[in-house]
Amino acid sequence: MEPIDQDLDESELELPAEPMMLNMGPSHPAMHGTVRIVVELSGETITKADVQIGYLHRGFEKMCERGTWNQVFPYVDRLNYVSPMLCNVGYALAVEKLLGITVPERCQYYRVMLGELARVADHLTCNGAMAMELGAFTPFLYFIRAREMIWEILEEETGARLTHSFGRVGGMAKPPTPFFKRMVSETLPVVMKLVADGEKLLLKNRIFLDRLEGVGAISKEDAIALGWTGPTLRSTGCAYDVRRAHPYLVYDRLEFDVPVGTTGDNYDRFMVRGEEMRQSIRILEQSLEQMPDDGPINVDDPRIILPEKQDVYTTIEATIQHFKIVMEGIKVPAGEVYSYTEGGNGELGFYIVSDGSGTPYRMRIRPPCFAVVQGLEQLIVGGMIPDVVPTFGSLNMIGGECDH
Amino acid sequence: MSLVEVVLALVKILVIIGFCLNMSALTTWADRRQSAMLQHRVGPNRAVINLPSFVIQGALATPGLLLGAVAALGIGGAASPAAAMERMALGLQLTVFVVWFHLVVLSWRVHVKGPLNAFEAAIGSTLPRSYFFAGLFAHGAGIAVTSLLSQRLAAGLLPAASVYTGARVVGALLGALMAAIGIYAAMRIPKGTFGLRLAGTLHALADSVKMIFKEDFVPKNADKLLHSLAPMIAIFPALVVLAVVPFGSVLCFEDANKNGLFEFSDLAHVAPVMTRDAICAGHAVPLQIADLNVGILYLFAISSTGVIGAAIAGWSSDNKFSLLGGLRAASQMVSYEVAMGLSIMGLLVITSTLRLQPLVDWQNQNAWGVFVQPLGFLMFLAATAAETKRVPFDQPEGESEIVAGYFVEYSGFKWGMFMAGEYVEVITSSAILITLFFGGYSLPFLYADGVLVQIGDTVLFQYKMNHVAVTVLQSLTFFGKTILMAFFQVFFRWTLPRFRYDQLMKFGWTKLLPLAIANLVITGVGVVAIDQAGPGVQQGFALLGQLSQAVVALLLLAAPIALVWLLLRPVERTRFLHSTSTRFAAAAGGVKASPMQA
Repeated sequence: MEPIDQDLDESELELPAEPMMLNMGPSHPAMHGTVRIVVELSGETITKADVQIGYLHRGFEKMCERGTWNQVFPYVDRLNYVSPMLCNVGYALAVEKLLGITVPERCQYYRVMLGELARVADHLTCNGAMAMELGAFTPFLYFIRAREMIWEILEEETGARLTHSFGRVGGMAKPPTPFFKRMVSETLPVVMKLVADGEKLLLKNRIFLDRLEGVGAISKEDAIALGWTGPTLRSTGCAYDVRRAHPYLVYDRLEFDVPVGTTGDNYDRFMVRGEEMRQSIRILEQSLEQMPDDGPINVDDPRIILPEKQDVYTTIEATIQHFKIVMEGIKVPAGEVYSYTEGGNGELGFYIVSDGSGTPYRMRIRPPCFAVVQGLEQLIVGGMIPDVVPTFGSLNMIGGECDH
Repeated sequence: MSLVEVVLALVKILVIIGFCLNMSALTTWADRRQSAMLQHRVGPNRAVINLPSFVIQGALATPGLLLGAVAALGIGGAASPAAAMERMALGLQLTVFVVWFHLVVLSWRVHVKGPLNAFEAAIGSTLPRSYFFAGLFAHGAGIAVTSLLSQRLAAGLLPAASVYTGARVVGALLGALMAAIGIYAAMRIPKGTFGLRLAGTLHALADSVKMIFKEDFVPKNADKLLHSLAPMIAIFPALVVLAVVPFGSVLCFEDANKNGLFEFSDLAHVAPVMTRDAICAGHAVPLQIADLNVGILYLFAISSTGVIGAAIAGWSSDNKFSLLGGLRAASQMVSYEVAMGLSIMGLLVITSTLRLQPLVDWQNQNAWGVFVQPLGFLMFLAATAAETKRVPFDQPEGESEIVAGYFVEYSGFKWGMFMAGEYVEVITSSAILITLFFGGYSLPFLYADGVLVQIGDTVLFQYKMNHVAVTVLQSLTFFGKTILMAFFQVFFRWTLPRFRYDQLMKFGWTKLLPLAIANLVITGVGVVAIDQAGPGVQQGFALLGQLSQAVVALLLLAAPIALVWLLLRPVERTRFLHSTSTRFAAAAGGVKASPMQA
């Protein structure tokens, strides 16, 4: 007897099939309400993907052209709403670069510390949410509890848990509270322990590792070509960190390592973020020692910094100064500048054009997420639907920042 | 089949279905309560029945008075000195238990809510744990004293009249204590209305009532018939699987009227005692709904039809996510069916029966299945989790991937049926797990004629029990074990991430299936080898089996002590106040979780 399918072509044996289009998002549990992925499926395998962003577009850049320089701070809060303090610091540094001023040393340390606290909170959220979307609920709660402690510090310092609006051109809105150093030094060990506990639950779990290892891998060259920065780029093995490559504030005086991955898959991204939290805590511990306990927090320039409230009510000079800064804004010399800092997701750049008036003439932001999300399509094609969840989660796409 | 048997079968069906549905609600509650505990939330507690406080007072006082009267009369009125001695010993132990248990409860309440009067303050000044340990000590002392007394009674050193008096005194003491406790508990209830919450378990009940009245949404292009049929198909097999699972041994009635027919009048004549081999001379009523000779095959045949409901739901909903969910459910359950069936083949080879009642009896005579087939148990547990679609095998639902999977387009009562079906499956799978691997309704060393602790040929302890007591104990054992196993299955839920679909398939086909086959082959070789070996080896295995029973018995005794020791640990809460808002809140009396949080 001869096999019955001897004469048949391979393709004739298969039933006719057509690909299935599936809309994932924007209202999908894993899409955070801010992105839509149209995928073409063959079974559960993704053959084509179309990532559509813009669901959180609010005309941020245009809005910035309306107010004074200091009125931009609430807008930048809402860029990366997971680590708003980093955006505050980044924007303040950009305007200060254009003004040609440097804030006092104490303020520089204060900014570094608040920024690193925000970075820890950012990475905690990202790693925790990723674990939760894979079904592991308890580690998420561990991470969120740690984040809650950091947010309490930020709340105590700035008055707001999330949208701090705490940065000012030439300094900060308020000097550190008397409890600041004690709070940070008491909180750090607890946060470290919670992070270690949460990671222990995940990194010894075969299912979790299987879901991450080798999924969503990208090469170093591709990542650089896409313009990736931040933890996602470092996970591919490229040790580019703005804090190390182009130090700003006091990062050149602080000792920290830049963790890098090897394969650029989800596991590496998870681990890089975990290690960066530890490095941030190292930075915080050093800053606790080095930060001066007294000294000015704002630059000594009445054209930039609002006078004391007491003086506004009692002296005519301060009243006029207050009026001019509030009504007309700080006069920033005409010119243009590009300033970049290390945000939660990578290089957060502000390109600012000033015409010498009290209002930005043009503001352009370089959000790290925008470049990172470009690569999402490449990462998920060929994978399966469940792979979208950790891959998207580990890219940490923040709608407010991406849809600038 | 006589009319009596039909009626008894209906009663058994009602018992099983009632147990399943109630336990599914309670398991839902347990599931949500655990999630609340992880998040420091109150958990489900919003359902409340407002009752006038005299109803609650009555409900608290009546059982105390009734039980007290029963205890006083039951322990006091014994026929022979030996029986009086036995009842006195039992009454003493019960008294000690009642005392320490209520002291623990009261002390705990005082620690949580504060004392109402000086008496309670005095009780509350000692930790609950101390009462428990004192109670354990008192139990031991009571056993020592009563065994000494019964030795003296047997030697004729103790007058019979004093034993009768002792029994009466103990009975009166116990009765008075129970009555006093009931009345005191009733007195603690404040006047007015009392919100009955039953630790939030009413919430699950209220949810199921709510689901009946919610909108039943059917998508426009859905297949109306199949869409409605799917939830019924999903819940039906989950309920009927338990038909072959025995929840007790055989209940034996004597043929009182000697006509050889089983009639209603026979129901009053339960056999007083049974022999060790449990042969029933009169009318035997097996405590399972249907004693099929293909028991386990029925179980697999029915449980595998559960997938049809999920697949039809996924297909008929006219939604791509639910289609994916239905496909996942179908392929996952079909794949794991194979491994599931093969994983228990080793056990069936050893016990050489397909019926579940002999299987349980074998485990009672020899050793629990989990000791005989540890690997088989682990594989069966994994396959069961896959069959019940629970974490980490919940791909068909996979809420972060395919939203809610096959029931994404269901609402109202149909959705409720899917959810109830899932939890009923947890209950039935627990019942099957304990029947196959944890001795079903059997307790170690408990036989049809009572307790007999025997290691090798030496009898360490023997205690005769009557037939009703043994049967009740066995049924309670079955339901208790099932509840424990169901709660254990619920524990998995909150830490494990879920597999990816293809990893799940790979795990099933390339790991579980070959392992199950290897397990079967090794077991087969082992069984033949032991059969061929001399009687020495077989006796050795019998001894091992008895040792395993002894280990289980010791664990059963140690587990409650360890549990109480852990639960009643003095709690040390360190509060970590660093921000202004938390300091303000603490200064204003602390932040209290609102009862409105659910």
